[in-house]
Amino acid sequence: MAEKYYAGIDVGSHSTEAVIIDDNKQQLSFSIIDTGLDGNAAAENALNLALAKIGINRENLNGIVATGYGRANVTNAGKQVTEITCHATGAHHIFPQAGTVIDMGGQDSKVIHIDENGQLVDFVMNDKCAAGTGRFLEVMAKRLGSDLDQFGNLALLSEQAVPISNTCTVFAESEVVSLLAKNHPRDQIIRGLHQAIVDRIWAQSQTVGIHGAVIMTGGVALNQGVIQLLEDKLKCELLVPPQPQIVGALGAALIAHRNFR
Amino acid sequence: MADQNFKSEPNRIQYLNEQKAQGRYLLGVFPALYPREILWALNILPVEIWDPPGTAVLANKHLQPYICPIVRNGLELILRGETDIVDGFLFPHTCDSLQNLASIVNDHLELNKPVFSFYHPKMPYTAATQKFYRAQLEILINQLTSIFSPIDTDRLTECLRLSHEIGRQLNKIFKLQRTNQLSFSNSEYYPILRQGEFLWPEDYLKLLNEITAGETIPSKPDTAIVLSGILPNPVEILSLLDKLNVKVAADDLLNNQRRFYLPQSKFSNPLDALTEAYLKRPPCSTIGTPISERLNHLIKLAIGSKAKGVVFLIPKFCEPELFDLPQLKQGLQKAGISSLVIETELNCGLTGQLTTRLEAFIEMLGN
Repeated sequence: MAEKYYAGIDVGSHSTEAVIIDDNKQQLSFSIIDTGLDGNAAAENALNLALAKIGINRENLNGIVATGYGRANVTNAGKQVTEITCHATGAHHIFPQAGTVIDMGGQDSKVIHIDENGQLVDFVMNDKCAAGTGRFLEVMAKRLGSDLDQFGNLALLSEQAVPISNTCTVFAESEVVSLLAKNHPRDQIIRGLHQAIVDRIWAQSQTVGIHGAVIMTGGVALNQGVIQLLEDKLKCELLVPPQPQIVGALGAALIAHRNFR
Repeated sequence: MADQNFKSEPNRIQYLNEQKAQGRYLLGVFPALYPREILWALNILPVEIWDPPGTAVLANKHLQPYICPIVRNGLELILRGETDIVDGFLFPHTCDSLQNLASIVNDHLELNKPVFSFYHPKMPYTAATQKFYRAQLEILINQLTSIFSPIDTDRLTECLRLSHEIGRQLNKIFKLQRTNQLSFSNSEYYPILRQGEFLWPEDYLKLLNEITAGETIPSKPDTAIVLSGILPNPVEILSLLDKLNVKVAADDLLNNQRRFYLPQSKFSNPLDALTEAYLKRPPCSTIGTPISERLNHLIKLAIGSKAKGVVFLIPKFCEPELFDLPQLKQGLQKAGISSLVIETELNCGLTGQLTTRLEAFIEMLGN
């Protein structure tokens, strides 16, 4: 009897991820590519890439679930599920003790309260602006002449932070320009920016509360500056999966497993 | 199946022109609580201004960026000259923003139209409340009659009867909708009910009677929710609920169920009856109802309608509602009822985030 496989595809604003799991819910493969302008094409490419890594044909997939902001446009998916449910499902699979999931992606941030079965209890999501998201960090890193990969580490070089009063991406950029003009040290500004984003996600978390172990997902979870400052603010350790960007896609694959077995 | 005629709204401008041609006065009325029976009795058609379409540009000259879009869009409508058809404006004392809008319209715009304010008392009610409200009714009548028609007491009594009948039919429709005996989708249902914002009472009652008398095909939604907040806007939210097979099984919107029902009164004097009705209104943030009372009301609505959750639809910067929400959400959660707050501009359509939040909430209720 042929092996059964399931795929989850997370079409985000910045990147698209695909995850393939087997019938035992074991993750076999994943891919991460830029979304670009065509979410459906990105979903196809990400899926093909993940399948090619393990030499599996599309015909061997029992089901595909799409998530992320571009989920509605993924034509080959059998089901669309929100990234909030998918992150909850994926996070619970990796860390069954998780009670809170903080997801910071390219253009949104969410705090999700889940129960012992990984089901949603409550959640909060940022409004439509990019304040406190991956996009915010990307714009600020560029303005301050840093690689995004190193931006978080630079925040930890300084003990002091220059207070940044704006988390609006546009206003914060203006504020940074003013601070540079006043010769504030670059590292202190970078730490201030990270502190601002952490303060914002902390305030968001207070509306649903922090419950149990806290897992952080999304691309921003790769930023050590955000992780460390958020741990200080929350006074707890954050659990970060090895590939925090693919947790939504993993959750989608797990939902495909549940729905299309 | 519901008659297709219910679903097509009459052309509003054409209807208002016809009303004027019949000798009626038109009064532009801002939200939310006012004695419409008195206006009807004075041959005045209230034309309510909640969420006019279009983007505010001219209004920004007068208002701060953090003023609610009901006020902003309403002022824009006036400044664009699209309220020229009305003979005056009425501003109930709903919130500070609307009260200040009344000042802008009255003191600064030079519209050459009368502007009336209606001061209704806020809770907690005391022994003086009844007297105060009744006095406000008399003041309003005096102000209106000095400019428009004299009042006919028999007609006022008849208007109370009409209002009671409208409320009764609306309750019947709400009940039919709640028990899935109406075939209206959410996106059909609310626009029909909202025709009451500008129809003459006899016309509106006729519409409601036709709905309740019509044959219906029962619907079978997957999930029931309570819709609370101010008004059903953006309308795309209603379409999304339809797509998700979710039914609004109970309504706590200021624009709808919080303000319509006029109970039978023991008082023969219509002003006494209107006063009694005001004091018996459902809990509402705009009359300062204690949060505990509103919470109990919402819990009863949710349980009574078998709703799995409550969605609050709030226009941006709506202070009366927003101050109550954290405690309401907390109380609902303690009662095992999930809730979602959607704070949004009016007529803005659905953003990706808004869609995701609503869909995720429905997914959560389905667990």
